[in-house]
Amino acid sequence: MLKNYFKIFLKVASQSKLFTFLSLFGISLTIMFVMIFSMTISKITSGSGPEKDLKKIVFCDRIMTKRTVNGKSTNGYSISACGRTLSETYLKKIKSADIVSMYTGAMPWEFILNGKYQKKLQNQTDAEYWDLFEYKFLQGRPYTKEEVISGANLAVITQSLKLLIFGSDENVLGKTVHYTSMDLTVTGVVEDPPKTDQNATGDLYFPYTLLKNTEAFDEYLGGFNTAFKAGNSNQFSAIHDETHAMIARLDAADTTQSIFLSGPYSQLEKIMRGYGDPEEYSKGSSLFKYLLYALAFILLPAVNLMALNFARIHERGEEIAIRKSFGAASSALRSQFLFENILMTLTGGIIGIILAYLVVGLLGSSLTISINYFNNVPLTFSFNYMVFAATLLACLIFGLLSGYLPAIRLSRMKPAVYLKGGEL
Amino acid sequence: MNYNFISNTMIKLENISKVYRTKEIETLALDNINFDVKEGEFVSVMGPSGCGKSTLLNIIGLLDEPDKGKLNLNNLEILSYEDKKTARMRNQLVGFIFQSFHLIKELNIYDNVELPLIYRKTPASERKKRVMEALEKVGLTNRMQHYPGQLSGGQCQRAAIARAVAGDPKIILADEPTGNLDSIIGHEVVGILADLNAKGTTIVMVTHDEMIARSTHRIVRLFDGRLVG
Repeated sequence: MLKNYFKIFLKVASQSKLFTFLSLFGISLTIMFVMIFSMTISKITSGSGPEKDLKKIVFCDRIMTKRTVNGKSTNGYSISACGRTLSETYLKKIKSADIVSMYTGAMPWEFILNGKYQKKLQNQTDAEYWDLFEYKFLQGRPYTKEEVISGANLAVITQSLKLLIFGSDENVLGKTVHYTSMDLTVTGVVEDPPKTDQNATGDLYFPYTLLKNTEAFDEYLGGFNTAFKAGNSNQFSAIHDETHAMIARLDAADTTQSIFLSGPYSQLEKIMRGYGDPEEYSKGSSLFKYLLYALAFILLPAVNLMALNFARIHERGEEIAIRKSFGAASSALRSQFLFENILMTLTGGIIGIILAYLVVGLLGSSLTISINYFNNVPLTFSFNYMVFAATLLACLIFGLLSGYLPAIRLSRMKPAVYLKGGEL
Repeated sequence: MNYNFISNTMIKLENISKVYRTKEIETLALDNINFDVKEGEFVSVMGPSGCGKSTLLNIIGLLDEPDKGKLNLNNLEILSYEDKKTARMRNQLVGFIFQSFHLIKELNIYDNVELPLIYRKTPASERKKRVMEALEKVGLTNRMQHYPGQLSGGQCQRAAIARAVAGDPKIILADEPTGNLDSIIGHEVVGILADLNAKGTTIVMVTHDEMIARSTHRIVRLFDGRLVG
């Protein structure tokens, strides 16, 4: 039976070239975009380079405070990253994690070098940052805890920044990099982190203690991420409980405002949360929201393909009538049509997957998607079995969605109309 | 000439009526038809265009459901027109032959003839045997890899006959099988049907050709949805 359906599929596809092209074009384009997006997200969330242990790290990068009057919340609220005091004094004391680090993450740094305007990224960190992420040091070493506490004017730079500022000089340790009004002594040079890294980012790294704490007005709000590294993911719930217990104590002690900490979250959860209200974020509803987006994205071309299928039903009328005459039940006809449709969508899907790899391979470095405000991530090649399987599943859903209703209509066609041109 | 038929009634229609309705019009296609066909009979149905001949064949072949009346096929009363049941009965009992051949143009002759056996879920080796037997009966074994578009009208109709008999049905319903053929080829086709009938297959054939009709056992005439004469 399937061999019979397959022969029909090949013949119909080769005879109706326009329909076949339109169907395959729509499907392959959709699958290509789904695949490219999935590959890039997969790369971002699985970790590489310094972030290779990303699956062992959770992050707090969002806090919300709401003013209270007489114990009742008002409409006034503030959302920001963690304040320096919150991170330094409270979150870094968490014991459930193996390593706790605070850092600003990549911030823009603009300067003039040899008469030319330059735009790079700087990252203010603690010493534990170099244990949190696995940077590869090409020269020198990171700054130590004592150097951070003492506010030493030290910096770690990337290889590309070294080449930009110092040219072909081999050894730049001890040399000076000028940042705003400060001269920073280079203590280490690291390999450039991949552009897909969202946390281990920057060209210039220096101790956060070098800059005055301008956030003293509010100990909770500020511009820091706090990250917790565990030996294994089983520690995450303990980290979550301890951080929230701490925030609860702070909240109880502060009668002027209520405090809500977002996280700690994994990298994927951070992306799903986005910039929305952290108090309203829930993993379940966020996942549901993104699944709805994915479904809508697939649904539009599926509806188009469904319309094409409906338009072609009458072309198959004679064939359906003949099959019914010789014993095909409506269920067999529906199965045939769905089988053909799924073959079409799988073919389009495979073309889309090949196109995705070609596009990323040929154009990847020059095309980006925006994940956060400061970081446009280049499209990235990565082969991931889950993404591949999910894409094929998307094709299957695509085929079912676009084929089911036309298959029902087709199976209900009255054979008499097509067997003798409608004579009664 | 006397014909001895087994007394088994293969097809029995009792007070069958069929009305086609659209938003504007109601058309009485068949009006109170009472009609028997014995096992092994070769019956011709004649009448002007639009008198209900094809409707009659469609009802006998379970492709359409009557609005009133009873239908018996091979001593089984058709009580329900549920899709799967009628499909199975059609597959087991009936073979169709159409004026326009109605071969699936995307399949070769072998695959077309194999069609009813596929829906019967016949094992592959048995299917091959039956398809080859059917093609031999109609003299088309050397054309089985060809497509319908590569055959003449007569060859297409012979292929359609092979498809109709591949499943060894008890009843063949032929709707103007010679309508699109010249007289020589038409007589060849009727000859094949007569051979099948001689081996016991019951045949009901719609035809406009008086000569061909006279070569069958009985002629039944329809006019405005009613049996006459």
